[in-house]
Amino acid sequence: MSKYSVIGKRVHRVDGPEKVTGSAKYTFDIVLHNMLYGKILRSPYPHARIVNIDTSQAERLIGVKAVVTGKDTLGRKQSTWRRFPELCDEEILCRTKVRYIGDPVAAVAAIDEDTAEEALDLIEVEYELLPAVFDPMEAIKEEAPQIHEGVELNINVTRHIEWGDVDEAFKQCDYIREDHFKCSSQAHVCMETHCAVASFGYDSKLTIWTSTQSSYYIQALVADMLGLREGDVRVIKPHTGGGFGSKFELDSAQFCASLLSMKLCQPVKIVLSREEEFTATKRRTPMYYSVKLGAKKDGTMLAKEVRVITEGGAYTGMGATALYLTGFFSSFPYKYPNYRYDGYRAYTNTAPASAMRGFGAPQSTFVGESQIDMLAEDLGIDPIEIRRKNGMTPDYEVPGQAHIQSCGLHQCLDKIDEHIKERGELPPNRGIGVSAYGFMSGGIFNWFDTPYAFSAAIVRINIDGKVDLFTGACDIGQGSDTTLSMICAEELGVHLDDIRIHAADTGICPADLGAWGSRETLMNGNAVKMAAADAKRQLLEFAAAKLGANIVYDMDIKDQWVHMVDRPERGLSYFDIVKDTIRGRDGETIIGRGHYTPHRKGMISPAYSFGVQAAEVEVDTETGKYKLINVTTAHESGTVINPVGIEGQLEGAVMMAGGYGFCEDQPMDEGKILNPSIADYKLIRSLDMPETKILEVDTYEPEGPFGAKEAGEGLTNPTAGAIGNAVYKAVGVRINDLPITPEKVLKALKEKKQQAE
Amino acid sequence: MSYHCPVCNKVSSSAMDLARHMIGRGDKVHRDWISSKGFKYSEFLTLQFKSFGGEGYKTLAKILEKETKVED
Amino acid sequence: MKKELRFTVNGQPYELYIKPKTILVEVLRAHLGLTGTKRGCDSSSCGACTVILNGMAVKSCSVLALQANGGEVLTVEGLAKGNELHPLQKAFLDHGAFQCGFCTSGMLMSSKALLDENPNPTKEQIKEGIDGNICRCTGYNSIIRALTGVVKGEYKEEK
Repeated sequence: MSKYSVIGKRVHRVDGPEKVTGSAKYTFDIVLHNMLYGKILRSPYPHARIVNIDTSQAERLIGVKAVVTGKDTLGRKQSTWRRFPELCDEEILCRTKVRYIGDPVAAVAAIDEDTAEEALDLIEVEYELLPAVFDPMEAIKEEAPQIHEGVELNINVTRHIEWGDVDEAFKQCDYIREDHFKCSSQAHVCMETHCAVASFGYDSKLTIWTSTQSSYYIQALVADMLGLREGDVRVIKPHTGGGFGSKFELDSAQFCASLLSMKLCQPVKIVLSREEEFTATKRRTPMYYSVKLGAKKDGTMLAKEVRVITEGGAYTGMGATALYLTGFFSSFPYKYPNYRYDGYRAYTNTAPASAMRGFGAPQSTFVGESQIDMLAEDLGIDPIEIRRKNGMTPDYEVPGQAHIQSCGLHQCLDKIDEHIKERGELPPNRGIGVSAYGFMSGGIFNWFDTPYAFSAAIVRINIDGKVDLFTGACDIGQGSDTTLSMICAEELGVHLDDIRIHAADTGICPADLGAWGSRETLMNGNAVKMAAADAKRQLLEFAAAKLGANIVYDMDIKDQWVHMVDRPERGLSYFDIVKDTIRGRDGETIIGRGHYTPHRKGMISPAYSFGVQAAEVEVDTETGKYKLINVTTAHESGTVINPVGIEGQLEGAVMMAGGYGFCEDQPMDEGKILNPSIADYKLIRSLDMPETKILEVDTYEPEGPFGAKEAGEGLTNPTAGAIGNAVYKAVGVRINDLPITPEKVLKALKEKKQQAE
Repeated sequence: MSYHCPVCNKVSSSAMDLARHMIGRGDKVHRDWISSKGFKYSEFLTLQFKSFGGEGYKTLAKILEKETKVED
Repeated sequence: MKKELRFTVNGQPYELYIKPKTILVEVLRAHLGLTGTKRGCDSSSCGACTVILNGMAVKSCSVLALQANGGEVLTVEGLAKGNELHPLQKAFLDHGAFQCGFCTSGMLMSSKALLDENPNPTKEQIKEGIDGNICRCTGYNSIIRALTGVVKGEYKEEK
């Protein structure tokens, strides 16, 4: 029998019944009385000075209630990097200059969307065009136009990581190779576009319902941008239609709706169109990689040097973190004794590039896993073997950076090795590629400069035993409401349906940094567990007295039974104890509190998950087209809290990360994204979706709640690399720039044939 | 032994680390100090973009080694 | 000039006056308050707005409401009978065939239309049946498993 009664069970999601009946309300569905609809006017030019904006005609249109421009703002600039003022570079409503096609210049509130749309056409903006630069390799040249004042060579951020003596180590290597890679952009394509309903009232308080990954960040940033007190801004996250990294920065819908509502004291709703979603929200950061890798003859990797220049787009966003993480995860999941990373983020006149699921690690994993396969081939070593030889192990110290406690990489390698052997001899033009990865369970970063704990939770027990769980964690679809309810139920010793979760409403929930960096299960999970334990302790104090238990006995609650651990038959009903405790405390409510901030866990994350993936492809050598046949993943994420949730994360990651390797791309012409619609932006649909197989490896993470760690973003890391390696195994061509399209494969096949002739 | 940033006094354990800090900050005051020594900030960066081996930082580190070392 | 629209939605007859260019999804969401049907793209590419019109799955962002005149529409709200869920809804719950849930209504309606037309689809036919619906979260395979469960008779409709 499992030692847990809730954790690890296949349960229905707590938001399931609402979602399968269409009754779940999203921001997109919210309609308030007297509500207006907003639209945003955006720059058609990649780089231009705003000479004048004439809104008078638009204001005269019947049905238009207000038009705002940068002049109506406090002129502040923001980003989530609040600790670093020079990185707070985004005004949202531009006052003097636009920096990409899609930069907002004005916003309208009207009685309906059609009227607001019509009003946008009546706003006259006079621009003075400026020379623009789109390619980061051009942007860093002396002669390139300067995108932000005072930023030389358009270098927005640099990041450096180094340990060991890299130069000396390369001298010891028997074999060194240098390679160059290009990682493309990717759109998040959340099914619910960015949207917000803002309502500022005559009580001078602002309420925002919004599709977000962090209600706390939005609360703090909106308050700062609009000159309000944080406590007067309440951000509520209803059900949210996906985030994937695109929704934890302040966006134009949230800001413009709030600004308009403040001006009118009327609710304003703004929903971005799908085209705006593609062109004017942030996207995955494109990266140019140069990598030097050195090894001994036996495959021991001695040194790695990585140089990255990223296409930052017009603003910082979360791009600075992506730049750092791609550098750190370029060393994963291997024990490089000597490592150097220099990363540069260049401003360009393109849509800002920022966070997307994996946060820089899908790029570094594609690059790293492609190159290690090349190295293995050069040295005549099996790809699994070279990964075994260098792979991280439990209790490994990444020099000066991080301490890895649990790590099941080697078991994952064994499982994938078995899987490949089971597949046996493959037909011609088929190949299996392998890719290994690791990822963090939440970041130990406080660029936001929050004074609060990273996560917090409150547990309140009602007289009938029903538990209210309050947390700032944001369920954006990944299932944190369910996972956290399960953790709460397990710790408190009650059933899942005894828990009612109230999440991501800053008016009633404690602050939490939100859903990014795969942090909720570990960080919020720890806070919830602590809060539940605090509430439980209050019940146990009473129960011990009531039972007259000898103080040497430990008390606990399991399955709604309050009992002595060593004599489980001696106990009382949870429901009776709740009633008695409240009565015995003069009616005082039972409230448990918990919080979590990682301490002494290095600079990056309190815990890391690992895995190995094998992708099998079949290539048509006539056309270059290839089919994803099967993607099998051996992974470990510590104790599995919510198995249905993990399956969903894994299979969903194959769709998204497979798309990154296979077909998703955002081609541009002079800063204009050429495929801003779902018809033109190619995603993996059901017919292209490969078979997926999951091979679980058991580990236990001491830092995580009940031993759990990350299972969200890490799974996005390996697939592009695995596909690249599979294509190589199948037909012997290596594609170094993503996505690996049929055109590139065909071209490479032709070149290979020509060389052979 | 430590190295103190001549602009903002940030303490680094090596001249190389300090070079990274100075180029990394990249704001006007740090760039001005580099210019005052007769070098160009952008040249160091361009050196970095071009090759492996951290040549840009090494060049600046040589200057910092002389100018900013503090014996503890 | 507004025009009269008479149709049945989830068994309930309606009589409305609408602008001729109004699309079906707008009537369902804004006029009738049936917000279970979502909009993801407005170009009939994502399938979030799928409803069943006269037995056929249609993308309600690309159908004029007046095209439904005299017709019968079934939306996600019409799947459950009171508090008794439809077999597809039960299967979606068991298999975790949704995450953010924004595509789910459309996915359920495409699935229902598929099974109404062909109660015993092969796996390939299931994939074809939902190929017009994008799900950014699940990777489709759990949805395919849910449908397979229904096809196998694991989820009986209560009589």
